[in-house]
Amino acid sequence: MNGSDRKFSANVLKVASVVAGLTLWHLVSAYVINDSALLVSPVVVVKTTYEMLFVTGELYPHLFASSGIFFYGFVLAIIAGVPLGFVMALSPLVRDYINPWMATLYTTPRIAFAPILLLWFGIGAGSKVAIVFLGCVFPILINSYYGMRVVNREYVELARSFRLRPWELFLKIMLPASVPFILSGIRLAVGRGLTGVAIAEWFGATEGLGYLVYFAGQTLNVPTLFVGVTAFAALGIVGFEVIRRFEAYVTPWRKEAQGG
Amino acid sequence: MLLRGGKKLREDNVAGPVLELKNLHKEIPRKDREPFPIFRNINLSLRDGEFVSVVGPSGCGKTTMLRVINGLLPRTDGEIFIDGKSAAELDHELVMGFVFQGASLLPWRTSLKNVLLGLEGRGRNPKGAEEIARKYLDLVGLSGFENHYPHELSGGMQQRVNLARALAVNPRILLMDEPFAALDAQTRNFMQLELLRIWSETKKTVIFVTHMIAEAILLSDRVVVFSHRPGTIRSEFKVPLERPRSMEMRADPRFLELENIVWKQIEEEVNASGGFAQM
Repeated sequence: MNGSDRKFSANVLKVASVVAGLTLWHLVSAYVINDSALLVSPVVVVKTTYEMLFVTGELYPHLFASSGIFFYGFVLAIIAGVPLGFVMALSPLVRDYINPWMATLYTTPRIAFAPILLLWFGIGAGSKVAIVFLGCVFPILINSYYGMRVVNREYVELARSFRLRPWELFLKIMLPASVPFILSGIRLAVGRGLTGVAIAEWFGATEGLGYLVYFAGQTLNVPTLFVGVTAFAALGIVGFEVIRRFEAYVTPWRKEAQGG
Repeated sequence: MLLRGGKKLREDNVAGPVLELKNLHKEIPRKDREPFPIFRNINLSLRDGEFVSVVGPSGCGKTTMLRVINGLLPRTDGEIFIDGKSAAELDHELVMGFVFQGASLLPWRTSLKNVLLGLEGRGRNPKGAEEIARKYLDLVGLSGFENHYPHELSGGMQQRVNLARALAVNPRILLMDEPFAALDAQTRNFMQLELLRIWSETKKTVIFVTHMIAEAILLSDRVVVFSHRPGTIRSEFKVPLERPRSMEMRADPRFLELENIVWKQIEEEVNASGGFAQM
């Protein structure tokens, strides 16, 4: 089987899987749980989404609010996480100093921090961005750290053999070698960041997808509830796709990055 | 232009050896125990343009010696001179090119960029550096593959890039650490012939470490046999074959005789170290 055949059959499988899933969902809603207070058909979800986007337009403020919070928290996490990971990898002193705090913060459920952050940063965007940041920063930091630690010893020897200066060793060897690791950290951070958005908007928010889902759940507005969840999923898919394309662009030398 | 750096050193020392090892000694310190000796009392000198192979039983320290010469590992004792100057003095200059055994090409760099690694940022203009890199890729037979990434090249082609990269900095000495060991037998034979051609075109001084006696004889002016660990130079042979060399010479009686002698010595060394099973 050659490459384009493989790609074609992969795409067929993907479409088939989605169609089968939606069909099953529709059948369950029509014949098994035929109760619109519990489950609605994907047809209803599509219809409601269409209305909220193009008739009432009420989805936009939620979408923009959540995207904005996600974006700021995510970008701040990259700005802080990558360099901190590098510094920890290059300096055992810094690593040992920071490690206990990192281990504690990383393993504590983020939802437990939400009320504290709310208390500190208020109910505005600040606390929400902080919650997203907290979710995103650790996978990015840990992967950046790890990527630099596991740089092939042969490459370091090569740098020595060619008498590269320390900054050349960093820029030409360590940094490019850790890019794939950083990117997989960033990919993990997308999911965790979106979880952060949902959590953040359950506490004292007046807009956002998290608020929409929470409010719809409280008021038993099942179609809107499903629209909110679908919108989260869509944001996640868009995020993944953006990162996949970015990855293929910055690491064209990786076979894995070129596949689907 | 390609002889920059190298040429200047050459003029200062017309007749002297290019590389001289004096009582080179390497051991690894151990906690609460005697240091672990790797090789000792290595005295070796290479004249300009000489091709010397080092063979010996596995683990005899021949690869480590190459790393010590290149400054990748510290030496315990003894001295290394390049054109009469101590290697420590020349540490910041690229007087040696190292051809590694494994896949040491940087996977994120194309062939051309890999060859450029030792040329960039050394006061050359980027255009000139690229010209040099292209020239060496051409020398190793890879024109047209400048923009290929290592994973798009065969094992033999990767070692060609590896060789071009080491040669591109125009080193005084080329250190080669079993560069063809990972290749299949046929590719290895072709690469040996290619190396002979490239060497005759560049006239580099070469130390070539290998575990293959026939390879050592085919390529070299001299073959140095290491004892078992701690490695010492057990014997040296001048290869009694004229140049240019060819694969047919492997059937030459002089070739076979030397191959036999060297093999017997290595066999003795392996037995003296406790036998093959102990390696």
